Amino acid sequence: MASASGNDDDLTIPRAAINKMIKETLPNVRVANEARELVVSCCTEFIHLISSEANEICNKSEKKTISPEHVIQALESLGFCSYISEVKEVLQECKTVALKRRKASSRLENLGIPEEELLRQQQELFAKARQQQAELAQQEWLQMQQAAQQAQLAASATANPVNKAGSSQDEEEEDDV
Amino acid sequence: RPGLQHKLLRLPLSRIKGLMKADPDVSLASQEAVFAIGKATELFVEVIAKDAYSFALRGKRKTIQRKDVDNAVDATDEFAFLEGTLD
Repeated sequence: MASASGNDDDLTIPRAAINKMIKETLPNVRVANEARELVVSCCTEFIHLISSEANEICNKSEKKTISPEHVIQALESLGFCSYISEVKEVLQECKTVALKRRKASSRLENLGIPEEELLRQQQELFAKARQQQAELAQQEWLQMQQAAQQAQLAASATANPVNKAGSSQDEEEEDDV
Repeated sequence: RPGLQHKLLRLPLSRIKGLMKADPDVSLASQEAVFAIGKATELFVEVIAKDAYSFALRGKRKTIQRKDVDNAVDATDEFAFLEGTLD
């Protein structure tokens, strides 16, 4: 997930997303551009603040990866307790969505064909494909040989033209007598 | 992609992750942790927007100005970390 513009320090939350959230929170309220810009900057600072605190909490625990629990503890220690219940709700929804996705994909897999049968069919197809390729290769080889033979014949015919009737080189006719 | 595509967050996860990574001291975060921070940030925007609005109303204005956001920051203890941003 590399950022196109190189410099990570210029990252902010997209203005459009902020505008949308402000509009949903305060429908029909006008907001000056300067005010919006300030909110965008504040968001950046907020994210840094929470990440940093969650990181410290993570370091103190034996874990190496920042977990949602660390984030919740960070919110608490920084005075944002009122956010916690909704954050927990969204985490729960996350799990539900993930679970649904897993169930949906496993249902597709179980539509009828067990894995062993699928494997068997796959092996069959591979074998067929190999055979076809082998046959093709052989045909090509034969064609090449034939072409080579014909080329040789043509070359020797022009080099040594066959003599007219009565020639002792004409062995076939002698045999017939 | 309806059905399974349930939008849980308004903010793009990738951007939040990018912002977190901008701090070299911050270790790897799980996807759920990024989600949690994303949700918290959305709530933050709601709160600061509402607070700023109440300041605009006090000033008998219908448009939220930058100074309303300033005042919202000054008025809340938890927003002390934003003092530097106001310049």
